[in-house]
Amino acid sequence: MKRKDLLRICLQNLMRRKSRTFLTVLGVLIGCCSIVIMVSLGIGMRESQERTLAQMGDLTIITVTAPQGGRGKVKLDDGLLRRLRGMSGVEAVTPKQTLEVESIRLMTGTGNRYVAEWTTVVGLDLDALEKMGYRMTAGEQARRAGDVIVGQYIAYEFKDTMRPEGRNTVDRWSGTWDDKGNLTNVPDPYFDPLKGKLTMEIATQAGKVTEVVTPVGMTKEDYSKGSETSGGIIMSLKDLRKLLDKVQGSRKKALPYDSMLVKVGDIAQVAEVEKEIKTMGYNTESMESIRKPMEKEARQKQMMLGGLGAISLFVAALGITNTMIMSISERTREIGIMKALGCYVSDIRVMFLSEAGAIGLIGGVVGCVISFVTSVVINLVSLGGFSLENLAGAVLGGEEVSRVSVVPPWLLLFAVVFSVLIGLGSGYYPANKAVQIPALEAIKSE
Amino acid sequence: MKDPRGRPVIEVRNIRKEYPIGDETVVALKRINLNVMRGELCCIFGTSGSGKSTLLNQLAGMEKPTRGEVLIGGVPISRLSEQQLAAFRQRHLGFVFQSYNLLPNLTATENVALPLLFRGIPRAEREAAARKLLCRVGLSHRLDHFPRQMSGGQQQRAGIARAFIARPDVVFADEPTGNLDSKTTVEIMEMICTFARDYHQTIILVTHDPEMAAYADRIVTLIDGEIVSNQVNKKERVWHEA
Repeated sequence: MKRKDLLRICLQNLMRRKSRTFLTVLGVLIGCCSIVIMVSLGIGMRESQERTLAQMGDLTIITVTAPQGGRGKVKLDDGLLRRLRGMSGVEAVTPKQTLEVESIRLMTGTGNRYVAEWTTVVGLDLDALEKMGYRMTAGEQARRAGDVIVGQYIAYEFKDTMRPEGRNTVDRWSGTWDDKGNLTNVPDPYFDPLKGKLTMEIATQAGKVTEVVTPVGMTKEDYSKGSETSGGIIMSLKDLRKLLDKVQGSRKKALPYDSMLVKVGDIAQVAEVEKEIKTMGYNTESMESIRKPMEKEARQKQMMLGGLGAISLFVAALGITNTMIMSISERTREIGIMKALGCYVSDIRVMFLSEAGAIGLIGGVVGCVISFVTSVVINLVSLGGFSLENLAGAVLGGEEVSRVSVVPPWLLLFAVVFSVLIGLGSGYYPANKAVQIPALEAIKSE
Repeated sequence: MKDPRGRPVIEVRNIRKEYPIGDETVVALKRINLNVMRGELCCIFGTSGSGKSTLLNQLAGMEKPTRGEVLIGGVPISRLSEQQLAAFRQRHLGFVFQSYNLLPNLTATENVALPLLFRGIPRAEREAAARKLLCRVGLSHRLDHFPRQMSGGQQQRAGIARAFIARPDVVFADEPTGNLDSKTTVEIMEMICTFARDYHQTIILVTHDPEMAAYADRIVTLIDGEIVSNQVNKKERVWHEA
């Protein structure tokens, strides 16, 4: 028998009993929908969890510090830097050094009229900034000696010495909050920090050290990185070392770094890399310890939800088996006739299996379409009504959009394949029954 | 199928068929031996319960005999597997049933084309052949009708077209006119005879009706599972007069 003919006969037979086929398909459809929607809710839950964690800090960055009272070889030095860079899975490493002084003043503007009484100065490997998740909002990368990157809101730290005390600062929190929780109408600071130079005045035991730097870039505020991204200054390690030498009067030669940031390429390798660094005797800190139990819990919930969905699909499978058994007992004589006319046993089996498979396929495909639409509707409702912008967010998601229900393509594919398999599986027993019907049935008189 | 000179198309050798019914065994056929020559119209005649239907089942490979064997064209069909039997039926056997047995959800054309469909012949080709044959049996106006839209006589004519479409060597007809009136019976019988004569095919006709037996070249009479007479019908063939 040709495949085309088998397919046509299969569809013809399904169309013969429209209402029965429809009801059976409906069962599969509901099962498929419940699996897809349940799992999509699980995925949505996990996605929003990951987002929450990501807001708390970059999930793939490990902070390495030396143990308290560490002595001997367990030091944060260039030797360690090389070792860390050589580890598999590590994408980038930067030492981090903070300028620790008793007081520091920043001055800028004509005649140094704008003054800030405190700031954080940090030295980092500027080439690794981007990989470490520092985002630039304005300006460019600092490349020359003396160039620095400043925090997004550094200008708000300054007061205008030409204005009367009490009214000489600009409050960056003084805007109005809109209904989405965003601050609007924030007043502009007195000056643009990227225009002009900054003078640092550092008090030391030996007196005052003054250093003039040129801000060329600005980082986006990120609390998980540190206050330097908000109101501080980031400079190259080389510049900071020079500054430290000046401040401390070249007392120490090779200072160890405060900490090191290790960026791991793949989130799955974070735990492994972290463990390896720990065995080297260092203290480590990452989001892994929070992420792991959260992920485990999310997976459990997802399995539970998916399991609930699967139950309804298995109930649908019983429906398919039932339908097929009925249709075979109705068609006993027909099967006998077909056998008497020379239909191959294998063709009869394929005929019934494909009927059952087709029920699964139709139910699966329609179920996927329906559950996709349902998922979009759920998201639209949670995003607050229908609009073109919300629709795009509900379907595709995005950095800023948190979706309740997430339907990835693999889920749809899985649901269709699973439905077809369920169909074939539940058609197996009836098809075997059909095959065993003897040709003799054709001759029996009713 | 090869037909060596003098060798019968159908050879039945020492067939015995028993059915277990409860604890007892009923013997439906006792030691049947029968040869049917190519082109013969052989009538298996007997009352109900004589074992004639059982014999037909053995001949057509629907059931396996308890003992003995059936050869069609030298092939021991009682020993073929299901798959081999299906292939053998496609090539060499045709069936005309008492209750027509057209598939209810197929049109007359599709029904007639069914044996060719099982052989994997493309749709256009097999349906063209089916239409041609339907026209020959006088159903040119019923090509796309479903069985329920046709009279018994029309259905049986479609059934005959189906039996002959694959040009089988042997056509089995089980009480083909059992459900028809006498006028239609004559039509149907003449149609079967005409087809058989045109293609030199062998017909095995099972009936309890002595009038039908008159069409046959050979009449085999069965009583209680035994052949009591096997005679060549010398009478002038009825269908030659038509």
